[in-house]
Amino acid sequence: MSHIHLPDGVIPPAWWILGFVLCFALLWLFTGRIKGDELRRKIPFAGVIAALMLIFMSVPLGFLPVHLSLAVLCGILAGPGLSFIAIFVVNTILALMGHGGFTAIGINTLLMGGEAIAGYYLFKILSGRLSCTFSAILSNITALLLSTALMLILVASTAGLSEVLPFHDHGQNHGEEVHFAESKQEEELPENYDEHKAAEAEGVKFLSITGWSAVIMIILSGIFIESLLTGLIVNFFSKVRPDFLDIVHPT
Amino acid sequence: MHIAAVDHMANNGDSFLHHALPFTKVIMSFLFLAALIFSNQIHKAVFLLVIPVAFILLSGVNVREIFHLALYSIVFSLLFALIQLQQSWTAAVMVMIKALGAALNMLLLIATTPYTDIFAVFSHVLPGVIIDLFIFTYRSLFILIDKLEDMVKSVRLRGGLHPMRLLFNLKNAAGALGVMTIHAFDMSERLYRIYSLRGYNGKIPITREWGPLRWVDILLLLFSLIVLTGVLIPWKI
Repeated sequence: MSHIHLPDGVIPPAWWILGFVLCFALLWLFTGRIKGDELRRKIPFAGVIAALMLIFMSVPLGFLPVHLSLAVLCGILAGPGLSFIAIFVVNTILALMGHGGFTAIGINTLLMGGEAIAGYYLFKILSGRLSCTFSAILSNITALLLSTALMLILVASTAGLSEVLPFHDHGQNHGEEVHFAESKQEEELPENYDEHKAAEAEGVKFLSITGWSAVIMIILSGIFIESLLTGLIVNFFSKVRPDFLDIVHPT
Repeated sequence: MHIAAVDHMANNGDSFLHHALPFTKVIMSFLFLAALIFSNQIHKAVFLLVIPVAFILLSGVNVREIFHLALYSIVFSLLFALIQLQQSWTAAVMVMIKALGAALNMLLLIATTPYTDIFAVFSHVLPGVIIDLFIFTYRSLFILIDKLEDMVKSVRLRGGLHPMRLLFNLKNAAGALGVMTIHAFDMSERLYRIYSLRGYNGKIPITREWGPLRWVDILLLLFSLIVLTGVLIPWKI
């Protein structure tokens, strides 16, 4: 869900090159662990997981302009290594479809893969103490919040933190502009101008759901729906095929 | 999912781009992509946007489908464009042109080259395991899409979806996706058995078409090299 599909040309080359280096290092580590007969069994399985993720991503969330990714669910079902590899494949196929940038494959994989890995380990810890459904919901929320925070840091870094924050001045001559604005305001102020009421009116602007508040609301709603759905699917598995969750707690 | 439609265009097209070598098209796409990323003037970026549009029109692919897919890149770049808008409108427009141009480049590549040929080119740089994964994913995807379509139909017919009941819909969607996952697991087991019988040992043999280079390949490579050079040189006219 937090997967923003970073397009080409918005991230500085140093960032996406670093993203590719880290992504390939992890891919090399995870593929190196699969050997022999395990390889024959796990590669088709990872392929199916990747295909499932692509299908899950095509499920719209109604009125919300986001879609599911269910990366945490894939992490729970396939384990951290295999899900990371599957996520790389998913991001590459999506990039070829114009869904996210080709240069951003590394970063997108790290963000989504991080979601899957964090979700897997959180579920592993929580499911020993809580019910499967509740553990899945909690681990999903935490993993998504973590990756969303990382994504926002990345977005901030692409434009500079000061550009992203809603309250700042963009002028080069900061002091002059503010001074000019103040003097102009003083000139145009009506006689019955009430500073207290003006401050209250400005406060109302903070509560309206526009700009960043709207983005945050959309992200949080998406996280809530995806987490609930993950919980319901895990609940379904715990009743119908509990063996699917064995990877977390092997018997 | 538009993957099936794009796959149809790539396999059934008959333009000069469809006849060019996959290697040529991948190199050309990456050269155009590099040119777009490093272009820092709006007129150069617009020129780089016009090139894939012209090629898409010339290649006879389904223009509507391609532009529909390309629209996603505009949506994704919107957030970044809004951030850049606080600096200047040209910076915001540049972000959107770059995202759209890059997406069109990639779409041109997949609409004129079958996926398996693209994976074959990638196999020169990526480990065999990853290439196999691409092939398995691609194969499974079409089977699972069919299953999903059938499942959505049956859920609707049984009254499993109501426009105003979010929790009810979520519960049913979870059940449907759960059943899909069970199907997918069974399918991966079948794939494992089939490939084991065929002697799969972790590397699916793929045909790589390298040459001979035809005129169309030479012209496309030359053109993309000229474009990249032209973009990188700071012209002072």
